Amino acid sequence: MSINNILIAVIAIIVAPLLGGLLTGIDRRITARMQNRFGPPILQPFYDFFKLLGKQGIAVNQTQMVYVLGHLFFAIGAFVMFILQQDLLMLMFILAFSGVSLIIGAMSVRSPYSKIGAQREIMQMMAYEPVLLLMVVGVYKATGSFMISGILEHHQPLIFSLPLVFLSFLYVLTIKLRKSPFDFATSHHGHQELIKGLTTEFSGTQLALLELTDWFDLVLFLGLISLFFARPWWVGIIIALASYFAEIVIDNISARVTWQWMVKITWVVGIGAALVNIVWMYLIP
Amino acid sequence: MDWYLLLAAILLPALSAALCFIIKNQKVRIAVVSVSTLILFAVAGGFIALMINSPEGNIVFHLDEGILEVISWIIKGFDLLLFSYIAYVGLKHKKAIVFVLSVLQFIPWALFEVFGVFGKVFEPEKAFVIDNLALIMIMLVSIIGPIITFFATGYMKEHEHHMKLKVSRQPRFFMILFIFLGAMNALVMTDNLSWMYFFWEITTLCSFLLISHDGTEIAIKNGLKALWLNSVGGVAFIIAIIMVNSSLKTLSIQAISASGMQSVFTGMLPIALGLLCIAGFTKSAQFPFQGWLLGAMVAPTPVSALLHSSTMVKAGVYLVVRISPAFSGTILGQIVAIVGGVTFLGASAIAISQSNGKKVLAYSTIANLGLIICCAGIGTRISLAAAMLLMIFHAVSKGLLFLCVGTIEQEIGSRDIEDMQGLFKIMPFTTVITVIGMISMLLPPFGVLITKWLAIEAAVHQPLVLVCIILGSALTVVFWAKWIGIILTMSYKPKFYLEKLTVSMKASLVALITFVMAASVGIVPLYNQFVKPQVRAFKIADKQDLGGTGMGIWLHKVDTAVYGGFASILFFIIILALIVAIPIIANRIKPSRLKPPYLCGANTTDDEKGIEFISPGDKVESVVVRNYYMQSAFGEEKLTFWVNIVAGAIIIIMLGVVIGL
Repeated sequence: MSINNILIAVIAIIVAPLLGGLLTGIDRRITARMQNRFGPPILQPFYDFFKLLGKQGIAVNQTQMVYVLGHLFFAIGAFVMFILQQDLLMLMFILAFSGVSLIIGAMSVRSPYSKIGAQREIMQMMAYEPVLLLMVVGVYKATGSFMISGILEHHQPLIFSLPLVFLSFLYVLTIKLRKSPFDFATSHHGHQELIKGLTTEFSGTQLALLELTDWFDLVLFLGLISLFFARPWWVGIIIALASYFAEIVIDNISARVTWQWMVKITWVVGIGAALVNIVWMYLIP
Repeated sequence: MDWYLLLAAILLPALSAALCFIIKNQKVRIAVVSVSTLILFAVAGGFIALMINSPEGNIVFHLDEGILEVISWIIKGFDLLLFSYIAYVGLKHKKAIVFVLSVLQFIPWALFEVFGVFGKVFEPEKAFVIDNLALIMIMLVSIIGPIITFFATGYMKEHEHHMKLKVSRQPRFFMILFIFLGAMNALVMTDNLSWMYFFWEITTLCSFLLISHDGTEIAIKNGLKALWLNSVGGVAFIIAIIMVNSSLKTLSIQAISASGMQSVFTGMLPIALGLLCIAGFTKSAQFPFQGWLLGAMVAPTPVSALLHSSTMVKAGVYLVVRISPAFSGTILGQIVAIVGGVTFLGASAIAISQSNGKKVLAYSTIANLGLIICCAGIGTRISLAAAMLLMIFHAVSKGLLFLCVGTIEQEIGSRDIEDMQGLFKIMPFTTVITVIGMISMLLPPFGVLITKWLAIEAAVHQPLVLVCIILGSALTVVFWAKWIGIILTMSYKPKFYLEKLTVSMKASLVALITFVMAASVGIVPLYNQFVKPQVRAFKIADKQDLGGTGMGIWLHKVDTAVYGGFASILFFIIILALIVAIPIIANRIKPSRLKPPYLCGANTTDDEKGIEFISPGDKVESVVVRNYYMQSAFGEEKLTFWVNIVAGAIIIIMLGVVIGL
């Protein structure tokens, strides 16, 4: 690891949450407009973040914070792997660690809402994990490398060889970002059957850090989308933003489904589409 | 020096076994076990030192023709005893199939070894060859095995107390344990296939004796199941020996392994290799032979720990990995990979529906063994490295986890996962170790996950296998995450008191968790020192390389370009930071800042437990949340049937293919 790499990583770690927070602010504004509301200022997520940080520390048990930190650190780890163009498959596993850490944190308290949210989150992971892994395999079949640097050196954008993989990745993104119709691990609205699900028992600093992790994840996933269109890089970024807008639209026009339905559809359609794509990649000599 | 080590590895356990059996005093037994543990550690250390100093990367023991003959006849004599004893067991328990399978082994064995009907028996003159693969196995057997045995000294006392025995049966128990260890050491060191067969049969018999140790009806039933399923493997093994002898004109295991590059993959050899694989499948409890390993959990916990981690099941994968260079890149290799992949997927899926802790561990063992066999079948340098690394990581982690569950079971009187809710408050010491053990089974940067990652990257050229591994690894996360979540559930507790455990149990847990951490943190030197030389020594066509440099493991193409890699050490720094953070965070929170969880109404009491609340209508309701087990999708009976059929079909296809080749 050279000094250069460390510098890049540090800058990225500072910039990513700013970007993520901003995007979340824009998301809230657009969502509000779609619902005929005026909406909060663009910088509202940052105001929320600092307000949460300033709150009195209240906890249900002594260990919750550990899991929150695990969730955050491993998300940052995955993000840094992305920035330094490391192994894409391992990146997915590191992300899984981050997810499992949050699940364990939610299960560590005796709250039924938190626990049910955690169970549903596990189901989500079971649904999207194979699609993410298959995506990596597709990328390998196209570029002959698992390293992100290999994708960037590839002579044509991945989307030409992996259109279906890209679509199922977008589909999975809705689950990963916990957008409607797949927001059943932590529901958008605090007064439904699940309260706030997974995050019910987190408060103050813990909640702020969860928010921060979500920003890192958001930037990472938009980055992964842009990989499919890399070269020239600005096309990738435009498509990534467009995809994010599409996610917001879907979020606003759909109602929550059951997790059983989600697992079934994801395994059949998501994995199916990715597999079909990969099969033809195998058949191309 | 070399010879002393060899004799110590095989005969010392035999001596300890005799001592344990003859001297029935508890204190003496503990002393014998402790001393043997230390000596076996020293033996493993001695072999490591020898290997590091040996320029060729293996240690060869030549025997004079005269001595060879004598030992051969001694082994034949014991073979005969074994057959008779197993047949006697079949008669005694009125289990016809055990008797029949024993006779089926005896007939070809006698015709071949004693009467020479199938031509001359080519015994290799290098009686024992220890290369790095054998060394890895010796380390597992002679380090983890004794630790588990040592754990058993504390455990069995409690166990017999629970069983209310009048006369202790511990002498018999420890005798069999030590024989088991000695046989395993011999099994991995010998280069003679027919000697290996003898030690293989000893482990089969020992596993029967250990599983049925408690003497209850269910114990004997499951023990017999282990005996007959493994005898199926034994039949395949003896037929394979005869075929190898006549096709390769030698019984040297090294020669079998090297035969792949000599383009002799026709005639009897593929059939022999296929049969040896089937023998490996039975020993390693692959679908459809998995039944015996699941039944084995009725035995006292140290037995399950031993069978599941370093001995017995590892003998099966050892054999498959050992001969895998011979079928690397062939159709047989591809089918073996599919058998492993299907087992990995099926066992991971069934594990989701299980709430019995030991059963979850058992299915996870089967899954991981499947992955090892799958890697052996893929047969590239990278996949074989993954297979060997997984053998190491799985053995330490699973040995630890079984001991943990055993400890938990003695304390709370249940092995049901749902009963482990809030375990952290009752047994903080065991819980922390258990959780680290579980995390080491499923998350990066720990070793097991690294091998899974290597397996996926190695399997990209076999789509069917790939899909099995990918789906299986997603399912793996589910059952582990559920379990970890349950045992870490807790309400506020002002002060933690470490639970009282006997010294031997505590020491064993600490020793094993140290090995788990050390192996994962030190994956680079571990790989470079033991696995890499072995992978390079295997005679296979594939030349892609796995490099252990800098902070992690890197995959190289033939032109040395890196196409994958992971700097695992860096992530251990994050883990370390978290471990340091735990006590700081836990102490910072003031009791007044702790609140009970939100329930669907007012909590009944002011304490922080949050188990009951007052519902509308002023009724007191208690909160019960259970994990999802999804019986309808992943139910054991339902899935076992289908996975058995699929796996059975693949094995029949495999037999058809090798016969047709």
